[in-house]
Formats: sequence, C-alpha cells, structure tokens
Amino acid sequence: MKVLKINGVEKQFPAGRLPSTVAELLEQLDITEATAAAEVDGEIVERKKFAETKLRTGQSIELVRFVGGG
Amino acid sequence: MDKLVIAGKEFNSRLLVGTGKFASPEVMAEALEKSGAEIVTVALRRVDIENKNDDTLRAIDVKKYLLLPNTSGARDAEEAVRLSKLARAATGINWVKLEVTPDPYYLLPDPIETLKAAEILVKDGFIVLPYINADPVLSKRLQDIGTATVMPLGSPIGSNQGIKTRAALEIIIEQANVPVVVDAGLGLPSHAAEAMEMGADAVLINTAIATANEPSRMAEAFKLAVEAGRTAYEAGAAVSGKNANASSPLTGFLRE
Repeated sequence: MKVLKINGVEKQFPAGRLPSTVAELLEQLDITEATAAAEVDGEIVERKKFAETKLRTGQSIELVRFVGGG
Repeated sequence: MDKLVIAGKEFNSRLLVGTGKFASPEVMAEALEKSGAEIVTVALRRVDIENKNDDTLRAIDVKKYLLLPNTSGARDAEEAVRLSKLARAATGINWVKLEVTPDPYYLLPDPIETLKAAEILVKDGFIVLPYINADPVLSKRLQDIGTATVMPLGSPIGSNQGIKTRAALEIIIEQANVPVVVDAGLGLPSHAAEAMEMGADAVLINTAIATANEPSRMAEAFKLAVEAGRTAYEAGAAVSGKNANASSPLTGFLRE
C-alpha cells in the first residue's frame, strides 16, 4: 500500500494507484483545480505546476480552498 | 461620491462585504449584487475531502468582484504569512486582509503579530489590509511600513454592537494617509453611516447582512447608508451647539 497524508489524514492507495502528480490527485478526489491551492511537504505548489509536481508515497499534502469568510 | 482608492486601484463602492454565514451561496450572491460591493472577503480552509461540494467560490463572479482573502484562523505571524501565500497561490492576486486573532473568545487582533506579519508580507509584494484594534499608534506604524489600508474595529467581530471605539477611530482617521476601513461590529446601517460621517473611507460588513432575515434587502440598506454617510462627510457637517438657533426669521412677527 502507498500512503499520502492529505490534510492531516493518512489515505491509502493500492499499489499502482498512487496519483503521480498534484493534478492527478485533485482529479481522483474530484476537486476543482481552479479554486484550490496545494502544499506538498510544506512547500506551496503554484497552480500552473500542479500537473508537473510529482508525488511519492509518504508525502504530506495540504489542499485548501476558499470558503465564506469576513 | 469620491472614488475609493486602495493601492492605486479605484472603486466606486465604499462598502466591502464578507461572505461568511450566509444561508446558501445563492442568498450570498444576491446580497453581494444588492450591496454594490466591489471587494468581497473570503477565508481559506482545508478542503473537506468527504464533502467536496462546499465550494463557496462558485457563487462569486470573480470577474465582477475583487476577492480579498483573509487570514482568519491565524494565531501568529507565521500562520498568517503561510495563509497569505496559499491564498495568493489560489487566486493569483496578491491582496490580503491580514488578521491574527489568537483569542477565540473576543477574536481581538494581536497587534504585535499583526505588525510582524505585515512587515514580512509588504516586503514580499503583498497588498496588505490589516485588521486591527482601534489603536492610533499601531495604525501609524502599519501605514509607515507600507500597508495599503488600516482596518480598525468598531467593536468585536460579529457582535453587531456598533462603534464603541469612536474616540480612537477619530484619531486614526485624522492621522491616516492610507484609507481607513472600519471593520467588525457594525450591526446596523446607521452604524455604517456613522463611520462614514466621521470620515472613514469605507466599511466592511458581514454578519449584519448575512444573518439578517432578508440579506439582500439589508445589503441594499447598508449600500444606501454608506452612500449617505459619505456624501454627508463630503458635504461638511453643520456645527452642533448647546443652544437653540432659530431656523425661521426672528423679525416680522404678527404682533405690535
């Protein structure tokens, strides 16, 4: 099993199913890319680099987006 | 009404509106429309992986409104800077409403961490609009380091108490060379008008609109109040005094 820690929670992926990039992860999770921001191991990933930023097992990922706020 | 200018950008509306606490994205969109606001604040939170449809942004026309991400939830400068950078990555714009509120009960802003974060963000090219207590000294320090506005509070966030910081706000407005946006605690259109009559450059309203029975009508009421207050300020108030001063002539009476 491969593992990514997403927003503090470990998520298991069967072998061969680990998303290879940030863009692929967002697609698997069904998250609209245009409104999200991502950090991989504490480093911010620019949206235009979602498709080229490789993921590997054990990494910690933060996915955030806008919600209502004052 | 004069235009509002923040960081060189012109706005016709002097009412900023927050997007929290609305019953639905549709109710929010209608209220934003009626408010005439051109700047709307949003917060940044972790995506709820289990409930991916909580996407507020889809109801906001980003071509029509300038999105102003806030750093709500930040407890110190470091967290506020991290949130600001994530917001910039998400929007592609570098405006941020800086708020650092370690105290969860009154949500009062931490002046030391706010100043620290503002210094870092200004150097990093952000347009910084800091939410602060009504502190004239801090306001000066912030404008001196290059923040785009100061945003002093009228009373605690969401309390709807109105302007409890009048004397300090008057000093802030007098000393400011950046726009003063009165943020937090304004519960009624009359509170907003009061701030504008005092010479505030703009106000930010969220709870008072979002939690009204009819948010879109309340949004319109705030729009009118802000315009009335600003127009009165520009017109210059008449002098107030202790004694009566007859409005009608004191000659030509029908006697003797």
